[in-house]
Amino acid sequence: MSDKNKKILIVDDEPDVVTYLASLLEDNGYRTIKAYNGKEGMDLARKELPDLISLDITMPEETGVRMLRNLHDDPATSGIPVILVTGVDPQYKDFIEHRKQVNPPAAYFEKPIDKELFLQTIRKIFG
Amino acid sequence: MTIFSSELNAWFQSRLLDEIPLNIAIIDRDYLIVYANEKFRSQFGEWANRKCYQVYKGLDEPCQDCQGMRTFDDGIPRKFEEVVGYREYYMVQTAPALDLNGNVAYIVAMSENITEIRNHQLECEIFFERVPCYIAVIDRGFNIMRANEKLTETFGDCTGKKCFELYKKRLSACEDCPAALSFLDGGEHTSTHVGISADGGETHYVVTTTPLIKGHTECKYVVEILTDITHIKALEKEKLDAERLAAVGQTVAGLAHSIKNILMGVEGGMYMVSSGIEKDDKARLSKGWDMLQRNISKVSSLVKDFLSFAKGRKPEAKLVNPNILIDEILELYAETANGIGVELKRMSPTRIPERPLDPDAIHTCLTNLVSNAIDACQLSTREKSTVLLGVYENDGTLVFEVADNGCGMDYDIQKKVFTTFFTTKGGKGTGLGLLTTYKIVQEHGGRINVESTPGEGSIFRILLPVSRLPEIT
Repeated sequence: MSDKNKKILIVDDEPDVVTYLASLLEDNGYRTIKAYNGKEGMDLARKELPDLISLDITMPEETGVRMLRNLHDDPATSGIPVILVTGVDPQYKDFIEHRKQVNPPAAYFEKPIDKELFLQTIRKIFG
Repeated sequence: MTIFSSELNAWFQSRLLDEIPLNIAIIDRDYLIVYANEKFRSQFGEWANRKCYQVYKGLDEPCQDCQGMRTFDDGIPRKFEEVVGYREYYMVQTAPALDLNGNVAYIVAMSENITEIRNHQLECEIFFERVPCYIAVIDRGFNIMRANEKLTETFGDCTGKKCFELYKKRLSACEDCPAALSFLDGGEHTSTHVGISADGGETHYVVTTTPLIKGHTECKYVVEILTDITHIKALEKEKLDAERLAAVGQTVAGLAHSIKNILMGVEGGMYMVSSGIEKDDKARLSKGWDMLQRNISKVSSLVKDFLSFAKGRKPEAKLVNPNILIDEILELYAETANGIGVELKRMSPTRIPERPLDPDAIHTCLTNLVSNAIDACQLSTREKSTVLLGVYENDGTLVFEVADNGCGMDYDIQKKVFTTFFTTKGGKGTGLGLLTTYKIVQEHGGRINVESTPGEGSIFRILLPVSRLPEIT
């Protein structure tokens, strides 16, 4: 399967961020599905089994950390690579990478993202 | 003497001395006890043919410098205190008994055991001096009649001084003098003051005044008990400063976080605009333009909130009727609330005197709380929600209360609401509203508390102790 058919789930409570990432990824040939909180995101992940998830940390209702745990706990989703895209302090990266309850994220991006690096990282993950 | 019946005369001679509740002994020049009453016998035992010093003190020879014997020389009655054995105290009075020639033939020694009273006095003395408080007794003219050592150690010599002179170096009584109230109503009163100690430093104290005879409005004296809270005040200030510093740190971190999020939106907008132009896609272009506008306006509201938070000004207090502040908020929000199906109601007004408040600042606090409450109502599953707004005074504290039966908050959220740029409103909130409120309330010497149950609603109370409200500017 070529990169171009890969399906990426975008989870962020800011609609503008979702629109941005979805347009960027679609312009680069990926398919996208969108969720606006952790709960919706988890439901979609289970149903659609995306090839990659772009996940925000701080969201109302269910946070990104909670969703990471749920992804980890469900054998169907625990293998999906996750890129964290967040405004949270970079120190958080070290913290989240060393938790037992979650898989270490495949990549960590601080908002605002460097979009070339973002695309390059995704290609590398799929490569 | 004929006015008494012969029976009464007989009783005088045989019984009177035995009925008097004093130890009575009649002593001759040779210290010999020639008569003693029943009370004396029960106190000191057998006395016949014994000398007074043997009976009183178990000594073999007369006491040095015996006061009683001097009455033999000058015929003058005396009153003095004697200590017998191990801390038995006696109050003794002597009177001369004269013979027919007018010479002192005997002395009558009347004594009373005052050990219990004396011990009680000693206890009181210890309490008075050793209790970790300043104590003074003042008269109706505020003159200090008595003060303990601790008080003079801190405030200096009190002789001839009035309490307000000593504690505060004032020329007239304090406006909120609790002692004056105690003289007036015979009750106990308490208030907090700042005095000047002998070394010129500030001394914070809580004073409780009690009339010497409680409930007695004619009482001549009032006891003032002062607890020194200077140390506590200093700790309080340190804590406030530390909190303020911590808040600054959190503020900066939170601000950076908010800006990063907005920047991401701006970048998204720029991407949509530029790719829209590239693709000649008008729909995408206009979507991008909207994103830009939205995120730019977020920056401006963030900056506005941030400025109102950062204003390190002191409250500009003037006397205002707290009820009017509530009326203003009701007027401001009634329509908005009604439009989205939220009922905004007022608690029945109570009579409150005008208080020194910064009306603009309190207005900001109430605006924040009410708009939060309305938001919480919108998130509720209830068909019709209510926000209840009121102000009252309770136990010397002015309380503004905003209650809603909206969505409520769980414990985790309650813990965070006043701290960081915390918001549950996603992109809509700046997370500064309650932080600003918290700061204003602190500047008014008060605090905020929250009660909340998820699904049932929240109550926010601004508690402002009247005694700590800012001074009118």
